[in-house]
Amino acid sequence: MKRWRLLPALALAALAVVGRACSGDATTLVPSRALGPPSWQHPLGFGEGGIDLLAAVGSGILGSLALAVFASAVGLVVGVLLGAFAGYRGGLAERALGRSLDTVQALPSFFVALALLTAVREPNRLHLALVFSATAWAPYARLAMAQTRVLRGAAFVEAARALGRSETSTVLVHVLPQLAPLATVQLGASAAAVVLGETGLSFLGFVALSGAPSLGRLLEQGVTTMLVAPHVLVAAAGAVLFTNAALLLATGGAGARAQ
Amino acid sequence: MSALRLAVRATTSTALTVVTLGTLVFLAGRALPSDPAALLLGEQASPAERAAVMHALRLDQPLHVQYAHFLGGLARLDFGDSLRKPGVSALSRALGALGPTAALALTAVAISTVLGVLLGLLVQGPWLGRGRAWLSAGIDVFAAVPLIAFAPLATYVLCLRLRWVPLPGDPEARLIGLLFASALLALPLGLQLSRFTRALLAGSERAQYLQVARSKGASETRTLLLHALPPMSGPLTVIVATQFGALLGGAAVLEKLFERRGLGTLLIEAYGARDLPVLEASVVLSGVLFAVVQGLGTLLQAALDPRVRA
Repeated sequence: MKRWRLLPALALAALAVVGRACSGDATTLVPSRALGPPSWQHPLGFGEGGIDLLAAVGSGILGSLALAVFASAVGLVVGVLLGAFAGYRGGLAERALGRSLDTVQALPSFFVALALLTAVREPNRLHLALVFSATAWAPYARLAMAQTRVLRGAAFVEAARALGRSETSTVLVHVLPQLAPLATVQLGASAAAVVLGETGLSFLGFVALSGAPSLGRLLEQGVTTMLVAPHVLVAAAGAVLFTNAALLLATGGAGARAQ
Repeated sequence: MSALRLAVRATTSTALTVVTLGTLVFLAGRALPSDPAALLLGEQASPAERAAVMHALRLDQPLHVQYAHFLGGLARLDFGDSLRKPGVSALSRALGALGPTAALALTAVAISTVLGVLLGLLVQGPWLGRGRAWLSAGIDVFAAVPLIAFAPLATYVLCLRLRWVPLPGDPEARLIGLLFASALLALPLGLQLSRFTRALLAGSERAQYLQVARSKGASETRTLLLHALPPMSGPLTVIVATQFGALLGGAAVLEKLFERRGLGTLLIEAYGARDLPVLEASVVLSGVLFAVVQGLGTLLQAALDPRVRA
């Protein structure tokens, strides 16, 4: 894997950490400087209530990245394991997984997330992470199943079985490493989709307001103050664009079909 | 397979999607520990008021009875009356809001299909010469741009700075506003569609029927438009139908951005007020819309592409 691909994502994370550290707390309200324009000390200016935009964008990016990585990681582990075992077993397991994948992938994930969020009074980051993990596993399972079906007849698998390895052990030790490249590409696309999904949900107002604002809420602020303070919109939209691009680039996922 | 079997299959998958989505909303609203009456009425409500709400929502009955009632209602598309506006059925509120959303989504589909096919053809065809590589690279870059970040920026630049287009939320804007919003929504989807078109066309480059056409003297343009493009109509229809899900989500974002009243805003309102019947009705209706388009896409593909029917 080309190392330079990771550069934007790492640079993004570093910038976010630095920005957050230098500018202090993203939740301090200083109404007197609300919606102030950018200056040398505060490169991104101020948002509603006087929050420092650099700190806010920094925490927003870190929060979204953490959520995306968590949900994608859970999706990857669950999806690949399910797909690999079903693909290896074949028969009923494979058909059952295929049908459930059809159903899960046929549901618009936006509405699934919405439906699940209605259960909670004040959704927070953890609820969002669980909700996104619920649909994140599907592409991995499909990939793993298709690839395992191909690998089932490979010589090295046959050799492993002949040498006495159990089915489980064969899949874990011999088949899974072969799935790694495909799963990695999907990881970037998956993570980008989670970031966008989370931004969309908080933009629409489905996430609680406690703590530092997320990218979606910053974007919403930007939209409402478009006329008087365009720098808020530019900062928030730029953050979302850059995060999305960095995640897609990190694993070459731009070529892969996003979720 | 025959048309009848296809129709049955499409209907079954539509029904399955709708029931699954409906069940999810049902469970989320009821089976989990949070108290729906408290969510709806707030902490200050008296026990009598809470009991009344619980009875109205049938929450005092066992879960399987509630679910049976829900499924029965689902079959008739009856979700009860809205809790915020008693006397108005939840379904009628959802249907009323469906109009603007459907208009936005369908216009966006039309624009994105034209854009996608056109760009795909331009990249594969001989008309642009050296520029094809640039166009292709540009499409790859811009296809990954997310709508939620792009739409507000585009609105700011085009509506507020350059004043080329009126703000779509403006009641005076009507058709131009709808076209602008649809164009914004169509852009990322059209670009993705163009990548598929390009891949499909490139895949059939060496096909025999194209060689025959060329050897009979057809120009490259004629070969592409009359011989290469029509067999693509089947797969393209399926892809457009699949993108519809993204459209519904994007429509909600755009409705919030431009303050158009539609299904998205109704959903947010119902969510905030914990108006369970309206919430159920909106989610199920969106699911129905989504699944129907998918089903229609499959049927249309079968109609256009005899290879699928065989």
